[in-house]
Amino acid sequence: MKFFQLLANALSLRQLLYTLAVLLGVVILTFFIRPPGDPVRVALGQHADSVSVANLQKQLGLDKPLAIQMLHYIGNLTVGDMGRSLVTGRPVAETIADRLPATALLATTSMLIATVLGIILGVWAAWRANSWLDTSLMGSSLLGISVPSFVVGLLFILVFSVILEWFPISGYIDRGWEYLTLPMITLAIRPLSVIARITRSSMLDVLGMDYVRTARAKGLSNVKVFFRHALRNALNPVVTTVSAWFAGLLAGTYFIEMVFNWPGIGLAAFNAIEKLDYPVIQGTVLITAVIFVITNLVTDIINALLDPKVRVR
Amino acid sequence: MIPIVTLTWKRLKKNKGALAGLITICIMSAMAIFAPWITPFEPTTQILEYSVKPAGFRGNILLKRNPANPDVPSVLAVSDFTISGDTVHYRDPSGEPYRIALKQLAGTSPDDWHHRPLFLLGTDRFGRDVFSRLIYGLRVSLTVGLIAQAIALLIGVTLGAFAGYFRGWVDDGVMWVVNVVWSFPALLLVIAFSVILGKGYWQTFVAIGMSSWVDIARIVRGQFFSIREAEYVEATRAFGFGAVRTILRHMLPNAAGPVIVLTTAGFATAIIAEASLSFIGLGVQPPMSSLGQMIKDGYGYIALGTNWGLTVFPAAAMAIAVIAVNLLGDGLRDALDPRTTQR
Repeated sequence: MKFFQLLANALSLRQLLYTLAVLLGVVILTFFIRPPGDPVRVALGQHADSVSVANLQKQLGLDKPLAIQMLHYIGNLTVGDMGRSLVTGRPVAETIADRLPATALLATTSMLIATVLGIILGVWAAWRANSWLDTSLMGSSLLGISVPSFVVGLLFILVFSVILEWFPISGYIDRGWEYLTLPMITLAIRPLSVIARITRSSMLDVLGMDYVRTARAKGLSNVKVFFRHALRNALNPVVTTVSAWFAGLLAGTYFIEMVFNWPGIGLAAFNAIEKLDYPVIQGTVLITAVIFVITNLVTDIINALLDPKVRVR
Repeated sequence: MIPIVTLTWKRLKKNKGALAGLITICIMSAMAIFAPWITPFEPTTQILEYSVKPAGFRGNILLKRNPANPDVPSVLAVSDFTISGDTVHYRDPSGEPYRIALKQLAGTSPDDWHHRPLFLLGTDRFGRDVFSRLIYGLRVSLTVGLIAQAIALLIGVTLGAFAGYFRGWVDDGVMWVVNVVWSFPALLLVIAFSVILGKGYWQTFVAIGMSSWVDIARIVRGQFFSIREAEYVEATRAFGFGAVRTILRHMLPNAAGPVIVLTTAGFATAIIAEASLSFIGLGVQPPMSSLGQMIKDGYGYIALGTNWGLTVFPAAAMAIAVIAVNLLGDGLRDALDPRTTQR
C-alpha cells in the first residue's frame, strides 16, 4: 500500500500525459523516415512495370495524401501493426519480436558490466586521486570515449579472435557463451568509460563537502567516510547517467551487431538500410525510441522514490 | 568580453592536456587544408598493379600524359625501363614487356615522368595511396564536424533563446520538440535523417547537424531562464529595446561559455557520427574518401588477419582527432567554469 502511495506521488498524471505526447511526436518523426523519391521504385528496382508499381503503391497506401497516410500509420501502430517489409513481405512487428531478445541480452549484459566496473573503477580512481593509477584510468577512459564502438569491435576481433584465437570472430550465443563475450565487452567500453569518469568526479565533489569533513572530524576512518558517507550520495548522478546511456547503448548495438553478425534488431536495421526497406527501418528505430522513453520514465520514478526531497511522508 | 577571453586563455594555457589537444587540432587542420600539397597522390588515383601493398612500399612509376585532364597524368607501374631513341621500353611489375612513345609521357626529361614514390601507409584494394586518402578523409571528417556544429548551433541557439526568452507556449512547443528528438539515441537519429535526406556529402552535414542541436537548445534555454530576470536585462526592456536586440547583444554573450563547451564536445561526436554513417553505407559516398569509408573498405581484411593497417590507420587518425577535441573541450569547460578555482 505504501509503495503505491509513493508511486502515485512520484508519478503525476501530468507527467504521464506528457510522456504520451512525446511518444506521439516520436511516432510522427518515425513516420517520415523514408528515402527520398519513390520508395516503391527503390524496392522494385528501375525496371519494374508501372502496373506492379501502382499496385504496391496502393497496397502501401502511398497514393493517399500524407496526412491520411500518417493517420493510418498511427492507427495501425495502436494495434501493433508496423507494416510489412518491402523486400520479404514479412510483418515488421514479427521481425522485431524475433530479434529483440538478442539485442536485449547484449544490451543488458553490457550495461551491467559497464555499471559495476565503471563504478568500481571510478571509485578506485577517486580513492587514489591524482596518482598515476588515477591518471592512467582516466586516460584509458578518454580513449574509450573517443573511439567509436564499431572500431573497438574490429580491433578486438583482430587481437582476440584472429591473432590470439581466444574467441570466435562472429556468431550468436546459441552456439555457446563464448560468442557473447566479445560483443558484450565491446559494447560496454563506452558506457564504462563514461560511468567511471562521472563516478570519479562525483566522488571528488562529494568528498569536498562539509558533511564529509564533519564525518572525518568525528574521527571516522577513511574507509567508513568513503564508502558509508560519500559513495551513497555520489551515486545519484551515476544513476541518471546509466539510464541515459542505456539508449546510447541501444544505438551502439546496431553497429556491434553488424560487426559481430549478432542477429538482433540492429542487424535487421542494417540490412534494411542497405536495401532502403523503410518499414523495417521505421520499426527498429521506433522500438528503440519507445524503449528509451519508457526507460527514462522509469528512471524518473526510481529517482523520485529514492530522493528523500521528493518523498512525502 | 575581452577580460573573459584573456582569463580563459590564461587558464587554458596551464592545462597541458587541453594545450596538447589544441596543438593537435591545429596540426590536423593544417594537414586537411593543405591536403593537395602534402599528399603524393590524388585520393582517387588507382594503380591496380599496386593493390594492398604494405606500409613503406616504394613504387616505380612512369607518368603518362592524360589528354582528358593535363593536370592529373595517368600512372603506369613498371619494374624497369630503358630509353631508345624516341621510344621507352618498359616491363610492368609482372615482367611483361611494353613500349611507349617518349612524347606520350608527361614532361620532357626522365626526372619529370619517372618517379619512385613512397607509399607511407601502403595501398588499399584498388592500389590507392592510403596516406593520401587518410589526409583527404581527415579533411572530410573535420569539415563535417565544423559544418554540422554550425548547423546545430544555429538551430539550438535560436530555439533555446526563443524558449528561454518568451517562455509560455513558445517554451512548451520547443520543449516538446526537444523531448521528442531527445527520445532517439543520437546515432539512431543521424541514421534516420540520413535515410530521409539520402546519401551524399551535404546530406551528411545536415543529418548530423539536425541531430545534435538538442543539448545546445537546452543549455541556452536554461541560461536564459536564469538571466532573464537579471537587472541588466530588465534595463534593456526599460530602454525599449526589441527582443532580438536584447537576446543577441545582451543575453547570448552571457550564455556563451557552456555553449562553447557543448559545441566542442559536439564536434567530437560529429566526427564519430560521420565515420559511423559511412561505415554502414550511408553518409559520404565513394570515391570520395572519409575515415569511416576507409574503415569500411578495409575491415574485410581483419577476419583474414592481413592488411589490418587499412582499418587501423584511419581508426587511429580518427581517435587522435576525437581525443584532441575532447581534451580541448574538457580544458575549456574547466577554464570557463567560474566555480573552478586554480587548483
